[in-house]
This record gives sequence, C-alpha cells and structure tokens, in this order.
Amino acid sequence: MRVVVRTVSELCITVGSLIVLFVVYVLFWTGVRANGAMDHQIDVLKDQWAKQTAHPAATVAPGASAGPRRPAPYVGGRPFAIMYIPRLGFTWNKPVLEDTAVSTLKKGLGHYANTAQLGQEGNFAVAGHRRTYGDPFVDFPKLRPGDAVVLTDGTTWFTYRIDKGPYKTVPTDVEVIDPVPRKSGYTREGRYLTLTTCDPEWGHSHRLIVWAHLDSTQPVEAGKPEALRR
Amino acid sequence: MYGWIWRHLPGNVWVRALISLLLVLAVIYVLFQYVFPWAEPLLPFNDVTVDNQ
Repeated sequence: MRVVVRTVSELCITVGSLIVLFVVYVLFWTGVRANGAMDHQIDVLKDQWAKQTAHPAATVAPGASAGPRRPAPYVGGRPFAIMYIPRLGFTWNKPVLEDTAVSTLKKGLGHYANTAQLGQEGNFAVAGHRRTYGDPFVDFPKLRPGDAVVLTDGTTWFTYRIDKGPYKTVPTDVEVIDPVPRKSGYTREGRYLTLTTCDPEWGHSHRLIVWAHLDSTQPVEAGKPEALRR
Repeated sequence: MYGWIWRHLPGNVWVRALISLLLVLAVIYVLFQYVFPWAEPLLPFNDVTVDNQ
C-alpha cells in the first residue's frame, strides 16, 4: 500500500514538473531561440547585401530602371528581406523568409510561397507568430490604417501603407491572400501586402489580417524612407 | 522510483547529490533539445497562416 501511494505521488510530481518545464520552454525558451535565429538571419542578409554592393551585377538590362526591378526567385527557408513596422516599436525589425513551413516561421516571418514577390504586381503575403518564437506579431491588433510597413531587399526600400485591418477571419479563408484580396476593399490589380497571424493570442480558431498597398519605393542609397525617420 | 535511483547511486551523500543533479540536468537538456521541440508543433501556436492551417 505504502509503495503504491509513494509511486503515484512520485508520478504526479514528475508529471507536474514536466508541465512546468514545458510551459517554461514554450513561453521563454522558444523566444530566446527565435531571437537568436532572427538576429542570425538578419546578419546573413546584411552580409549578403554587403557582398552585392562590393560586386554589383555587371549588366543591368536597359529599361530596367522603370519601377522596381524583378528580384531573383526566392529560395525556400532562406531570408530575402527585412521588415520594419514603426507601430510595433521603433526597433522592431524582423527577417522575412521564403515559405511558411513550421521550421521557417521559427526563424522569422514567412512569405507565402505562391504569392507575389516584394514590390511586384500582386499580393505580397507574409505570416508571423503572434505568440511564442519571439512573439513577432504580439501587437498585431494595434495596427491601424495609415501605418507604414517598410521592407528592404538590400537594394530598395518599399513603404507600404495599411488600408484595412486588423480583419478577423477563419483559417480556411485563403482568399485573403489573393492578388486582389476579398474583403480588402481593393477593386483592381495593384501592388499589395497582406500580413496574417493567429487570433486569439494563444489560440488558432481565427486569423487576423491587415492589407496594405505599396506607397513608395526608393533606392537604399537615398537613405531610410520617411516612415523610419524619427 | 526516486528512492530506488538514490539507493543505486554510488558514493556517499554528497557524491549521490552531485550525480542526481547531473542526472536532472541531463533530463532537462534532453527535454528542451529533443522532446519539447517535437511536442510544441502539436499545440496551436504555430497556426498563423491561412492556407495550410
């Protein structure tokens, strides 16, 4: 009898400790790991861009200066841009990686692989964690129409302005990342941006969406865009 | 269970305490490195996209 009671109590203590450890892991450790991973991705990008500037592409096709040039295809799981959203904090900046695999989203924001490229005609759609893995989109509901979403791919600054959101929808509503997103209020083709994250904060029953349009672009040599200047 | 482990550890009380501590740390390492990363995607916090749910 004594052995049974003791064994059961020890089991309960073990399970309790396991749960506490798991909560510590989810709330704290994933953030530590993700912040390290995101910083690393940003370093990778900056290294890559520094090399590009040192050895600029030899031939630029004539007429390529009209509008942002078409970027090379993105490689799955690799970073290609940095996103800045002043509303989420002046120092808020995250790497944007290609595809939305679970392992990709641990290292930064994920670009939906089948959507438009940065600054191109169509809808550039990006997903990010609301909670865990560094909480990149924890303040997502604070976004308002008119807020700037600034991205750079190393050669160009892209400033998007939010037009609508946060809009709450269900996870199966894939039309929110269409080239002309349903419910966004946009009626014709354009250069759009869609951000998605989960809602409620710790749940997965819904998604929060914001839509933005491309407001302006400028080469990196021209300095930071207006929205990022203090 | 824990009593059984304690009785089977060698050495005096201090050596046993040290070995127990190392064992606990090893278990935590395995959990954080292998078990929790496997278990975490089963929770809903990863569902942030609209297409693959």
